Amino acid sequence: MSAPELKVQDLAVKDGKGNWLVQPCSFTLKPGVALSIIGGSGSGKSLLVQAIMGSLASGLRASGEIRLGNAVSRAEDASGRRPWWGHTLAMLPQEPWLALNPSMRAGKQVAESYHYVSNTRMGMAQAKMQASADLNQLGVAAASEKYPFMLSGGMAQRVAFAATRAGGAQVVIVDEPTKGLDADARDNLLTVLQTVLKQGGSVLTITHDMHVARMLGGNVMVMRDSNVLEQGTAEQVLENPQHEYTRALLAADPENWTQAMPAPGTGQQILEARGLGKRYGKQTLFSGINLEIHAGERIAISGPSGAGKTTLGNMLLGLVAPDQGSIALAPGLDKLKLQKLYQDPVSAFAPRLTLKQAFDDLIRLHKLNPSALPPMLARLKLDEGLLRRLPSQVSGGELQRLALARILLLSPALIFADEPTSRLDPISQQDTMNLLLETVAENASAILLVTHDRELAAKTMQRHIAIQHA
Amino acid sequence: MIKVLSHLLLRRCLQAVLVALLVSTVSFFLMHSLSGDLAFRIAAGRYGYDMVTAAAAEAVRVELGLDRPLLQGLILWWQQLLQFDLGDSYLSSAPVIEEIREQFGHTLQLALSALVLSVVIALPIGLIAGLNPHGWLDRVSLTLSIILRAFPPFLLGILLILLLSSKLGITNAANASHEHGGLFLPALTLALSLAAVSSRVARDAMVEVRRSAYFNFARTKGLSDLLALLRHGIRNAAVPVIAYLGVQLVFLMEGVIIIESLFAWPGIGHALAHAVFGRDIPMIQGTAIVMGLLFVLCNTLVDIACMLADPRQRYLASRRADA
Repeated sequence: MSAPELKVQDLAVKDGKGNWLVQPCSFTLKPGVALSIIGGSGSGKSLLVQAIMGSLASGLRASGEIRLGNAVSRAEDASGRRPWWGHTLAMLPQEPWLALNPSMRAGKQVAESYHYVSNTRMGMAQAKMQASADLNQLGVAAASEKYPFMLSGGMAQRVAFAATRAGGAQVVIVDEPTKGLDADARDNLLTVLQTVLKQGGSVLTITHDMHVARMLGGNVMVMRDSNVLEQGTAEQVLENPQHEYTRALLAADPENWTQAMPAPGTGQQILEARGLGKRYGKQTLFSGINLEIHAGERIAISGPSGAGKTTLGNMLLGLVAPDQGSIALAPGLDKLKLQKLYQDPVSAFAPRLTLKQAFDDLIRLHKLNPSALPPMLARLKLDEGLLRRLPSQVSGGELQRLALARILLLSPALIFADEPTSRLDPISQQDTMNLLLETVAENASAILLVTHDRELAAKTMQRHIAIQHA
Repeated sequence: MIKVLSHLLLRRCLQAVLVALLVSTVSFFLMHSLSGDLAFRIAAGRYGYDMVTAAAAEAVRVELGLDRPLLQGLILWWQQLLQFDLGDSYLSSAPVIEEIREQFGHTLQLALSALVLSVVIALPIGLIAGLNPHGWLDRVSLTLSIILRAFPPFLLGILLILLLSSKLGITNAANASHEHGGLFLPALTLALSLAAVSSRVARDAMVEVRRSAYFNFARTKGLSDLLALLRHGIRNAAVPVIAYLGVQLVFLMEGVIIIESLFAWPGIGHALAHAVFGRDIPMIQGTAIVMGLLFVLCNTLVDIACMLADPRQRYLASRRADA
């Protein structure tokens, strides 16, 4: 059965004050043909698909017309599209790990769509069997009896996908489906989406990942600042971009980065680790890791999800005690000189204190020179006015650079950067990564990077440590 | 699950022993540091203030061994405790354990009724208020919560007696066939004070759930609002409410003593208050220990309820049990 055609006419979103959040745009999603929307954070991509679904936050107003097959709905009449949900139109949310009910087994969360939503109205027992079969087909049969917190990001992604599809919807919207997934999980998901397309379904994807847009093919739409800048077939847009911004987006893909200069790696030794090992319960995470880090070195830690990459980094910083082995810091080196840059900058700042407070406290606590802050912010291309705001009021890229400034004030010998840019859009990712590398080089610090992005690691780091499941 | 439960119970049993020892020792010292002559107070309790003479007080002192050094008294008391002997009441001379056995059932009945009633009141109000934050129910329940929590329980109890018994005649303040007026009023008094806070916890939990990605996903999957609430909302919102009950137990224990006295409810709290007036040390120590143990018991029940409601806690507990 092939999907109904989704036709969007002059769809726009305004906030309560009448500001445009999405300028009027029109497009058609044909059965079997993918449409990918790419663009930076805050460009209105997510609002656009929420407007299609009819799940915009209260206070935002949509206008325009949405047709799904023979059904027509005015965009502002969100409740009119409620009956479509699950039956004909479905959305796989961002961060599937959070989108699953934490206190319900995964299989049941898929089965309920068959039981309550699907037109087949199957009984619970049959629905459960069908759900198990679906999960089996997606390669996550083991997930059925597990709770979401026991699943990896990639597994949760596929469970959420099964739950999204089980209601019978042929038109699927997926919002940043590969955020935070490693390459294997990403390829897995792409296969799943391609299968939907082959079976005549249609897929509307929002993504930061040019690789995803390229692999799904079909059509591509580029958005910036509430505007659709260009749209066309994937080949046209990705191979021969018309708009300058599209070219910048493509250039920001780590695949197209220039190789960073090799670092000397002959500086003073910062730390030496021997025979490091870690176990969780009866399971050995890794063992027998030997490592020396010298000033100026750039080291990437790679390995599959759950292999213990973050744990190893934390161990070197002294945040986690090793079960085996030992770590020796260079004589006279204070532990404070080993610093960590977190994956999610929002949770690395106190949410209800202004950023100025965060910096003032740091300066007072460590008796730093307050006059070092303004040039540091300028170096990281940050406006001092940002300091008056709360962490939730600045963009992800800015906040990550503020987190970097906070670390650099301590003139660290080693920075452990744990997926520092995985939540940023490609352009902020490149900016942040460049500034990180430049400042690290200026300070002759060493950097230890954990990332699931092989390209990024290859382009920026000089030494690679792979850890495998023991 | 059985392994997890037995692990939990074992831990709680150890805790119970520690609580019993600590409470008994502290209450021993507290009682002996009270001002006034113990023997006089006890004799007054037995024979009435008018009848107390120095000779009678002296007789009491010798009879109860109050002339012994403090340390010796403490060691004797510990010895008794290890044999599960709480001693005899100074006033009635009956074994303390007998008196407590009679009262304990009443207290347990009152405490559990209040706890259950508070959940019955707080959960629906909190959940509905949370479904429509800043709506009229949310604002009214917030105002009521603040007022109810600001009242000390004894004042609230008196107001409820005035309102429900004297004015409206719905319940009996005192029952002719009984020495007390029934379970409902004292349980309601305690439950309202507890629900004042629980309902806000439930409200915030519901707001949190409604904002959560999984609740929205339940809706976009195609479930109706009611189904999304029943299958994905209530259980997740209930977990913090249950956990918070553990925090409120302190308030419950304290409230039980005051409310039992106010409503002449023949429980341990009532007995404890009387024992303090009469300087009936074994009775005070006995009731304090039992209250302490009741606290541990209620905490254990809350722990188990949390584990049943939240698979993450079940999982963490099983990890702990394995380690």
